[in-house]
Amino acid sequence: MTTASLPARPPLGRALLRLFTVQGSWNYERMQGIGMGVAEQPLIRDLAGNGTAYRAAVARAARFFNAHPYLCGLAVGATARAEHDGVPPEQVERLRAALCGPLGALGDRLVWAGWLPLTSGLALIGVALGLGLRAVLGFLIVYNIGHVALRWWALRAGWTYGGRVATALRAPALQRVTALSAPAMALVSGAALPLVVQFLTGGYLGWTRAVLAVVAAGGFALLWWQRSRLTGLRFGLVLLALATLRGWLWP
Amino acid sequence: MSPALELVLILLAWGTFVGLDLVSVPQMMIARPIVAGPIAGAILGDVPTGLQLGVLFELFQYDILPVGAARYPEYGPATIAAVSAAHAATGTLGLGVGAVVGLITAMAGGASLLVVRRLNTRAVHRAAAALETGEPRTLERLHVAGILRDAARAAVVTAVGLALAQLARDYLVGTLSSRGVALLNVAAVGAALAAGTAGTLRLVGRGPGLGWFAAGLVGGAAVVWLR
Repeated sequence: MTTASLPARPPLGRALLRLFTVQGSWNYERMQGIGMGVAEQPLIRDLAGNGTAYRAAVARAARFFNAHPYLCGLAVGATARAEHDGVPPEQVERLRAALCGPLGALGDRLVWAGWLPLTSGLALIGVALGLGLRAVLGFLIVYNIGHVALRWWALRAGWTYGGRVATALRAPALQRVTALSAPAMALVSGAALPLVVQFLTGGYLGWTRAVLAVVAAGGFALLWWQRSRLTGLRFGLVLLALATLRGWLWP
Repeated sequence: MSPALELVLILLAWGTFVGLDLVSVPQMMIARPIVAGPIAGAILGDVPTGLQLGVLFELFQYDILPVGAARYPEYGPATIAAVSAAHAATGTLGLGVGAVVGLITAMAGGASLLVVRRLNTRAVHRAAAALETGEPRTLERLHVAGILRDAARAAVVTAVGLALAQLARDYLVGTLSSRGVALLNVAAVGAALAAGTAGTLRLVGRGPGLGWFAAGLVGGAAVVWLR
């Protein structure tokens, strides 16, 4: 292995910008593969070998890949670094394949089930408490500070560690943040619920309150026990169709 | 009352941007209803309706987890269409009408995502040989085409939603009695609360998170009681 071709200043910024589009060509054959190849291009363009090494690396970079979009940079950085380090092609492919599962699971836990519902719950609380557009703007800013920081950390960690990237995934700070995100999300989501009820039903009086309680409780029970068959969308559509029909018949 | 053509075009542009954000570029969560709705409201000069429908559809959004190849409705452009429909009926009267338009648009948006994914798959399959030789231009062309396809998809979904909003304004608003309108609003809010609560509890799970959720619930209820 050699590090002779390692660029002094890798174009990580350009790779990061391309990573924001990583799912732009999402498809059932290679999933995020095409986007991964596009994002890796700036980092491997200067590979030695008269263009052949570059093309071979691009072909590998564009093969099947599926992980959390915010953490794809970790695989892009790690494989680009491995290509520069002269790691054999089969090993580079094994590295990519090995990263799919852990990056998907970590991203789902950290972002989709943690950071996103936590910050959107805070936005709901803000709107319910009368902050209006300021709550929405606050959500966008706070969420995206975490979002961009995660993307940048992933790309840099991948490039720094290369084939030893598993070390980055075991970083104590990352473990702590992942462990904290679930209870924080649960606490905020719980707090948001009563405030949202008050915000949406402030003007309800008399029979509407009783009907709302029955519909919400009955709907929750249905969605909970029939979760494999019934979605919120289907339940909402059926309920609204029935309500429209009843509204036409009820003078 | 229909919005002016310039406003409809601005809503269409906003919906396209929102639709692109969901999967393709840049995933900064402007596709969340809590963002898409209030901005649509601001465009129409009706922020309160935008906020109400933003909150309503954010609850529906909690019902889904956008993981991998999962099928899910698209609530961003749907919320914009809902705000457009509700704006005509003003305030809480329009909440139910907006929800009807929004949920149908969300379903259409979800179906359109599958169409674009299939088209992308076909394009990638056709270019397989060039991709295996590591042809950089083919790679870039496929990627840009995928993003453009998604932009066109988002524009079409938003246009369908805005057309539905127009239909709702013309044929639904005014045909319902005041009690019928109230019932529609109650159904919309009840369904959103049920979907939001069920989705949140699925995320929280049965572990220690449930205790934190209960603590939050008590805290939120206390704030409501004190206000």
